[in-house]
Amino acid sequence: MKPGEVNLGTSLMAVTFKGGIVIGADTRTTSGPYIVNRVTDKLTPIHDRIFACRSGSAADTQAIADIVRLYSEMYSVNFGEDPTIRTAAALFHDICYQNKNALSAGIIVAGWDKYEGGSVYCIPLGGSLHKQPFATAGSGSTYVYGYCDKNFRENMTQQEAVDFVKNGIALSISRDGSSGGCIRIATITEAGVDKIFIPGDQVPTFWNKS
Amino acid sequence: MDYNGGTVLAMAGKNCVVVGSDKRLGVQNLTVSTEFQKVFPVTEKCYIALPGLATDVQTLSELFRLKCNMYKLREEREIEPLTLANMISSTLYGRRFGPYFCEPIIAGLDKNNKPHIYGMDLIGCLNYPDDFTVAGCAEAALFGMCESLWEPDLEPDELFETASQALLSAADRNSLVGWGAVIHTM
Amino acid sequence: MVTRLEQPRGGFNFDNFQRNVSLEQKGIRIPKPIKTGTTIAAIIYKDGVCLGADTRATSGPIVADKNCAKIHYLAPNIYCCGAGTAADTEFTTALISSQLELHRLTTGRQTRLSTARSMLCQMLFKYQGHVSAALIIGGYDVNGPNLYSVMPHGSVDNVPFMTMGSGSLAAMAVFERSWRKDLERQEAIDLVKDAIDAGIFNDLGSGSNVDINVIEKDKVDIYRNYYKPNERAPKEKVYKFKRGTTPILKESIKDILVITEGVEAMDIS
Repeated sequence: MKPGEVNLGTSLMAVTFKGGIVIGADTRTTSGPYIVNRVTDKLTPIHDRIFACRSGSAADTQAIADIVRLYSEMYSVNFGEDPTIRTAAALFHDICYQNKNALSAGIIVAGWDKYEGGSVYCIPLGGSLHKQPFATAGSGSTYVYGYCDKNFRENMTQQEAVDFVKNGIALSISRDGSSGGCIRIATITEAGVDKIFIPGDQVPTFWNKS
Repeated sequence: MDYNGGTVLAMAGKNCVVVGSDKRLGVQNLTVSTEFQKVFPVTEKCYIALPGLATDVQTLSELFRLKCNMYKLREEREIEPLTLANMISSTLYGRRFGPYFCEPIIAGLDKNNKPHIYGMDLIGCLNYPDDFTVAGCAEAALFGMCESLWEPDLEPDELFETASQALLSAADRNSLVGWGAVIHTM
Repeated sequence: MVTRLEQPRGGFNFDNFQRNVSLEQKGIRIPKPIKTGTTIAAIIYKDGVCLGADTRATSGPIVADKNCAKIHYLAPNIYCCGAGTAADTEFTTALISSQLELHRLTTGRQTRLSTARSMLCQMLFKYQGHVSAALIIGGYDVNGPNLYSVMPHGSVDNVPFMTMGSGSLAAMAVFERSWRKDLERQEAIDLVKDAIDAGIFNDLGSGSNVDINVIEKDKVDIYRNYYKPNERAPKEKVYKFKRGTTPILKESIKDILVITEGVEAMDIS
């Protein structure tokens, strides 16, 4: 991170369930100790049923997402078919890997396509690409690995998956100083995208109710 | 800026402007010349003052002389103060990441004899004051002098006195500035 | 000596870079570029956006300009507040506004905010934060009123209210206290004025007057020096010098020869 750069000190989660995927993120954007934006949308649309969750430098990840969005758009125009999640993830992977010395970007690509159903890809800092049943990323992710490993089950229902993500983000917000604000969740299935916004005063609390 | 010393100012009055500089060239505390030119004529009614690193002062004065001559040949008219200011400003911004150490001031009368003064920083950020502008080594002292001495609608000879007193007083309190001054009244 | 005319090659010229680095290592103090040291703020209200800025420019501790304009023109329906290095905000907005003008002439349509946004953030991202311009773009296009904030490294935020610059914390405090959805026009102007005012009095980098710009559908109102909380008291005495106070060592007077070209009637008698 360069000095003065805007940071997405972030908590991101993505999880597959029976009919698709659920992604979630906090809404805090920081520059040093200052919160630049407290209602950021870190769930970035890439194509009709593909979303990216961005962590790291805001400028870098936005620039990458803009390029991949362009490529995905061109793909669907040229081939008359929506790009698969694997294709979009591969585009992210390529840019992140080829420019890994200049970028600080951790990205989760998730969505639904007709070949593989819901799938989640994770591209951490070095630019490697991992297909996972669920993924967490960002500075807040370290606090919720245990929660995810304990509670993740394959083939959850949509409601279970949404709650899993909602609680996961809420837990990491409560422990990570550079995550916070509200929670944004998106569910992507064959039917399309369903976005949920949870305001700061409705974020779940746990044993410490204060 | 502190290396070669030197400072300049420009003031606007009633249908007149003055621009002036001190005459010293030094290498830190050693005075090398007492007749160093820092104010350069562009047209009969327009001057640029170039305070800063002496090598850049001379490079830029030659560069702007060339550019203004080319302008005159192409346009078949003299350059106006605002055009000149914008030309200098974009020249300096072109070297945003390797600037000349010079903060030019432009002063002159336009074709309707309306006074114009412009100041800018070393990467060409223009400002358009309607009273006075100063730059160089004794900038801080000059700002103080001008803030108290300048007043609106001064006649040419009054403006000359105000500007020279401001410049000389500021120069007296700065060891890198001095050896007399040149003032051009238009 | 310059012996050739510099050919414009596009982009920045780095010829002096190495020299300046070595001069800096030798301990020569490098003059600082002028910073805006700014409070800029903007909000979306019921039928438009309201932009505001203070008018101080600073170079270190010195106030370089007491009344500079920080609200820049981008397109007839889009204006932009700039904070950061003054020259950078000035030239980036000028460059983008000329590109937008050409874009308008090619497409024959009103410029959209997202076009301006993309151009600015792609340019700033290209320079990786070295062009330090922090901008708030506000305007009214086919999608209604909109506001974007662009950071120097090229990141963008789309927000209903935003503050930037060194006084942004003071201004944001005012917004966080009083901002509501769908403010009326005068309420919006007052709120922005209060935010800038907070910046002027609580931030050393900001000062002087408040500039306000209001953009609505097909209508732009520019209120330069909308509010002047720092007006200087008139001087009580006149400090004119008597003629001849300054000893003149040498004087030369050049008369200006005015040549008026005109057509003289030919003598055809």
